[in-house]
Amino acid sequence: MERLRRHPELQAWLILAIPVIFLLIFFMAPLLIVFVYSFLERGKYGGVEWVFTLDNIRRVFDPLYFKTFLRSFYIAIVTTLITLGLGYPLAYFIAKSPPSRRNALVFALMIPFWTNFLIRTYAWVMLLRTHTGLINVTLMNWGLIDKPLPLYGNDFAIILGLVYGWLPVMVLPIYAALERLDESLLEAARDLYASSSKAFWRVTWPLSIPGVVAGSMLVFIPSLGAFVTPAILGGGKSIMIGNIISNQFLGAHDWPFGSALSMVMMIAMLIATLIYFRWTKKSELVT
Amino acid sequence: MSETFAVELQDVVKRFGDVTAVNHVSLQIKEGEFFSLLGPSGCGKTTSLRMIAGFEMPTDGAIYIYGERQGYRPPNKRPVNTVFQNYALFPHMTVAENIAFGMQMQKVPKDEIKRRVDEALAMVRLSNMANRKPKQLSGGQQQRIALARALVNRPKVLLLDEPLGALDLKLRKAMQIELKALQEEVGITFIYVTHDQEEALTMSDRIAVMNNGIVHQVGDPETIYEHPADRFVADFIGETNFIPVKVLSLSPTIEVELGSGEKVTAGWAEEGLAVGDRAVLSIRPEKMDLLELHEAAKLKSNDVARVRGKVAHLVYVGTDTRHSVTLGDGTEVVVRLQNIHIDEEPWEIGEETIVTWNAAHARVLKE
Amino acid sequence: MSVKTEQLQSDHDTWERVKSKFGGWSLSAYGILAFAFLYLPIVILVIFSFNDSRSVSKWAGFTTEWYGKMLQDGQILLSIWNSLFLAIVSTIIATILGTLVALGLERYRFRGKTAVDSMFYLPVIIPDIAMAIMLLLFFNMSGIGFTPWKVNFFGARLAVPYSVIIGHVAFNTSFVAIVVRARLAQMDRTLEEAAQDLYANAWQTFRRVTLPMLMPGIVGGALLAFTLSLDDFVITFFTSGAGFNTLPVRVFGMIKKGVTPKINAVSTLMLAVSLSLVVISILLSRRSGDGDSVQMGF
Repeated sequence: MERLRRHPELQAWLILAIPVIFLLIFFMAPLLIVFVYSFLERGKYGGVEWVFTLDNIRRVFDPLYFKTFLRSFYIAIVTTLITLGLGYPLAYFIAKSPPSRRNALVFALMIPFWTNFLIRTYAWVMLLRTHTGLINVTLMNWGLIDKPLPLYGNDFAIILGLVYGWLPVMVLPIYAALERLDESLLEAARDLYASSSKAFWRVTWPLSIPGVVAGSMLVFIPSLGAFVTPAILGGGKSIMIGNIISNQFLGAHDWPFGSALSMVMMIAMLIATLIYFRWTKKSELVT
Repeated sequence: MSETFAVELQDVVKRFGDVTAVNHVSLQIKEGEFFSLLGPSGCGKTTSLRMIAGFEMPTDGAIYIYGERQGYRPPNKRPVNTVFQNYALFPHMTVAENIAFGMQMQKVPKDEIKRRVDEALAMVRLSNMANRKPKQLSGGQQQRIALARALVNRPKVLLLDEPLGALDLKLRKAMQIELKALQEEVGITFIYVTHDQEEALTMSDRIAVMNNGIVHQVGDPETIYEHPADRFVADFIGETNFIPVKVLSLSPTIEVELGSGEKVTAGWAEEGLAVGDRAVLSIRPEKMDLLELHEAAKLKSNDVARVRGKVAHLVYVGTDTRHSVTLGDGTEVVVRLQNIHIDEEPWEIGEETIVTWNAAHARVLKE
Repeated sequence: MSVKTEQLQSDHDTWERVKSKFGGWSLSAYGILAFAFLYLPIVILVIFSFNDSRSVSKWAGFTTEWYGKMLQDGQILLSIWNSLFLAIVSTIIATILGTLVALGLERYRFRGKTAVDSMFYLPVIIPDIAMAIMLLLFFNMSGIGFTPWKVNFFGARLAVPYSVIIGHVAFNTSFVAIVVRARLAQMDRTLEEAAQDLYANAWQTFRRVTLPMLMPGIVGGALLAFTLSLDDFVITFFTSGAGFNTLPVRVFGMIKKGVTPKINAVSTLMLAVSLSLVVISILLSRRSGDGDSVQMGF
């Protein structure tokens, strides 16, 4: 006991031992396996042959697959931008509400987020489907359109589903940043002859950038790796990397290629994140 | 055999990485004393207190409590209790539970705990608050509960870390008196950390003035104020004029020369000064007086210093008026003159004057 | 000042007033629209679960028929039990592990801390599809496979693969750790010092001060883990092998086949569960009172 007390390092490892071992076995080891599999040959009936190859990595950059990669990036970026465009004013609205109402609004924001993602996506299937979706049926009944709008089974549906799914995650960090913002800073800006829009762009916006960065990352990463949304709202036609990866395991039984795809996806995310942080750091210095 | 002190620090050093927070500090605190550690923030006073409590271990040196070396002994095994700066009352326990906590840990019988909690609450006059949560109390009440929670354990030494820091001025003054009275009543040794010199001067039996991890002076309030041991103490406690001088002689009389060439004598010189050294002459503003030129000429005594100057600035502060006077070498000194006679002719800006002081009140300190 | 410039000035003031009024008004209008966007799809989904028709695009009167159908569907009932059992077991394990992680990482400094710290963030950051296939390969390779834990849970005979439980614990541990750690970081450390000063040893300090103060964070973390576990589709889908369905996996299968009011009914049930979890967390935060709210999520 006495020894333990004098050696906090020992104490720390004693506390952390079980969770660290757990994560090493059930998370780090699987990560390593995916890495190793990326460089192995495909087995005849699923599984792998222990032969080193770079074919899988090469195939990822084959136009057939790489196009989907680029498209996933496009969808993730557009989703992030739209979510930011919609989310910032919403965060601003909540932050400007009377303090007594703010917590309730934050809860109202989080309730949809806490409800099942699958179900929230399904709700849009119900609304968007081409011939039987509520929106098209209603609009046609009202005689506003003659033939159904192409709302389903395309990038539009996927982006809408992703924006809907991740909007709360964008709003929350921005709100946190805005809420912390000292009102007197704005008053000082106004006092120093800034118009309200100048005050916003010179004071509020730069100070909320950490929230914007956090929110953007929280939306971008899951959007890039989306699987459920394109699977349901893409109607089988419009697919993203996540779906190609899953196909390698569910249908094609090409595990090494699936591993290579997910390795490249994770590395791409890492690079995108780093670039984004660099870029925002710089712009923060400028403002 | 040497005397046993309540708390003794022997050459204690505490380093945090490259920073030396406490630098070879030795202190001897007597039983029943109200002892203050006074200094600006970051001077090492709180670290010293935390080492006595056992929250930090000294890098070097030894701490004794009633002659017992503490070593690595954890806080829960030391016969001292702490009143924290922010009180650190447990928010999930009631006031009574907070006070009972220490005794429960020591396995005091239940009925005794109950009796002592009641006594402690009565002592701080908060008996009707026993079942409240700390957050329902005012700052002053929380402060008293923190005090009760510590004292109920009958510690040999009570450590207080700026306990009045969070209170407003009026309440702080009231609590100073209450705390001092309480200390006299219970007779426990108090070690009190504060950066407020007035607080330290009013309450303490003895004060240790600290800066940059070093103890500059230990003494009773009067000694600290009237006989500061060095420039830091003179500057930190109260207001002082520092006049740059050169040491002319150190014995039998201490004589120095001002930048203007005027020579004056002083009552005391800091150890380590040698003839020819540059130094500062330190005199408190209230110990100085201003005389008309012709009045000064009449003064004969050698024990009174006379220096020419010109009134530069006047600030009326009610009980007295602060006269800023520029001396011959350009040094500006402040002279506080009490406003005793309302009909007295006031000094005017630009007027020539003679600044005088009793040589015994002037101290020669290292630069 | 001439009359004319005065007139101009007051016009300008009016314009400013109108502008600021309009600004506030349009912001509120936007806020209301945004919340409508968030809630309308869910509300419509619930409404059509009571629709007396196979169609989910035309209202044909009120019925509870679909709920009846749902309750007669043995597959759905089994998947509900599976979901609950999985959520409870993985939450308990993840809460214990996550709390340990939070304590270890927030309260100590040691070599390799940054590495351990980053490692526990990974499961949160990595997209669930990547984590799912990682685990799939691991369980395939390791020989643990998809061995089920056969258990009688409130009369329901379940066979829950260990792989799924482990998968859920793997991501939930990190989420619990984040929530508990946030609470721990906020906690005033002098409270623990005060306890020690009042003669409490390390264990007593933890038991009497740290743990009670930490409780809102632990409960919040557990509620979050429970919700995430109930919510999860991707990781369950890939780590369960064939034949094991949680409610989301079952719903996914049904959606793939087509849209029916029965799915709406199941969805409404799941919504109700999520909503009650939220209400529970609010009630708990009220009860713990004095601002120590249960922290769920971010």
